[in-house]
Amino acid sequence: MKRIESRHWIFIGLFLLIAAVMLLGVELNINPSSETQKMYDYIENLPPGSTLMISFDHEASSLPEIRPVALAILRHAFSKGHKLVGLALFAEGTVIGYRLMDRVATEYGLEYGRDYAYLGFKPQYIAAILSMGESIQETFPEDYLGRSIDEIPLMNGIYNYDQIGGVISIADGSLTTHWMEYGAARYNVDILAGVTAAMVTTYDPYLASNQMQALVGGLRGAAEYERLTGRRGGGSRGMLAQTTSHLYVLLLILLGNIAFIRSRRKGNN
Amino acid sequence: MDRRLALIACFVFGLLMFAQYFSRHPLARSVNLAILEYWQIIFAFTLLVGVASFFRNSLSAMRNRGERPYRMVGLAGLIAMPVLAIIWGIRADTPFMWMFENVQAPMQSTVFALLAFFVASASYRGFRARSLQAAILLGAAAIILLSRSQLGGAFSDVVTPVADWIRNYPSMSARRAILIGIGLGSLTTSLRVILGIERTWLGGKQ
Repeated sequence: MKRIESRHWIFIGLFLLIAAVMLLGVELNINPSSETQKMYDYIENLPPGSTLMISFDHEASSLPEIRPVALAILRHAFSKGHKLVGLALFAEGTVIGYRLMDRVATEYGLEYGRDYAYLGFKPQYIAAILSMGESIQETFPEDYLGRSIDEIPLMNGIYNYDQIGGVISIADGSLTTHWMEYGAARYNVDILAGVTAAMVTTYDPYLASNQMQALVGGLRGAAEYERLTGRRGGGSRGMLAQTTSHLYVLLLILLGNIAFIRSRRKGNN
Repeated sequence: MDRRLALIACFVFGLLMFAQYFSRHPLARSVNLAILEYWQIIFAFTLLVGVASFFRNSLSAMRNRGERPYRMVGLAGLIAMPVLAIIWGIRADTPFMWMFENVQAPMQSTVFALLAFFVASASYRGFRARSLQAAILLGAAAIILLSRSQLGGAFSDVVTPVADWIRNYPSMSARRAILIGIGLGSLTTSLRVILGIERTWLGGKQ
């Protein structure tokens, strides 16, 4: 049998700590940040019945972090009576986006085709973003369910970004950058984003220069959004695990550095 | 001659795409749309190159007995998913999507979640303040980590503004410098490719 090494104890410690905290079910009080507040205000202040495009630009690996973000935004947009047009520019986001939209629409008793539509996946994201600026109908002749786009009542009168209130990119990478470079710069459509926490600093310059209108970042962003909408969900629950693991990592860094300083002093002596 | 044709096509289409960007004329828009459609078709063909390469590498790696089971699983996935997609389609509630939702997505999330354990281990072994610069980096990382947690009360009131300052000044100025550098580099490379100065994309000898 293999000997248990120090790293194995670190793994076991992390697992036990998160499991214990999750079982205790501590409730955290989270204050919304200004960027999350911007997203909330943007959706809140749109006239009811406005059309928003939501693009699921992520892979399945980031689902635990990205799903609470998407759900919180979808719930808010649907509750305000906005129409949503969904799509995916990453193949893996296609069915995930459809399921999420369908789930939230069902919660609010909304009808497919009238209140929301899902266009599906289009490969080559830069070409797809540019192409929708010219014609959504020609880019997506059929929706995800195989129905002709002309048969979808919601899509009547929506030809390109001119009829879209804003695009919300749910992303785990840099794809949102292409929405800003090609969608916003060329076709003047507002870009908003819900991204993983690791991507937040990537988008800070765009947010500061108003090239991006709003940003919800990671589990914390989702938890803040849930606080604003008054409906707790995966973000608030996930924040508990995230806070615990962050503190655990900081403790390990501290212990590692104490050990390092002590060994260096011993070496000097 | 074949290289010259490719260079001429690159020059013409490069110039055309550049010029049409500034025009809202219906002709420019329809040309743009047509080229974008061709772009997507070409992209589909590039995927075939990737699949063929994966096949070839996997088959040659299968000679190694230790790697064989993993390579077989990889190849089985590569063959099974297109077969399911061709027979039943790729829409919701098809076998293809069942495989994606119940096999691929959980596996990917699991692998991604394992990162937390490796980060925890690395934080103990690797994140050492060996110099002043390393200590500053470590301090900034600790503050950002704390700001993405929620400890509540006065602690958050102190950490959040400090973390915001790090994000809005040192971090953002560095990122802007990188972005501007990338932009200028892309512009230069694009011009070199369009004008035929940069020819490595053609492959073969110069």
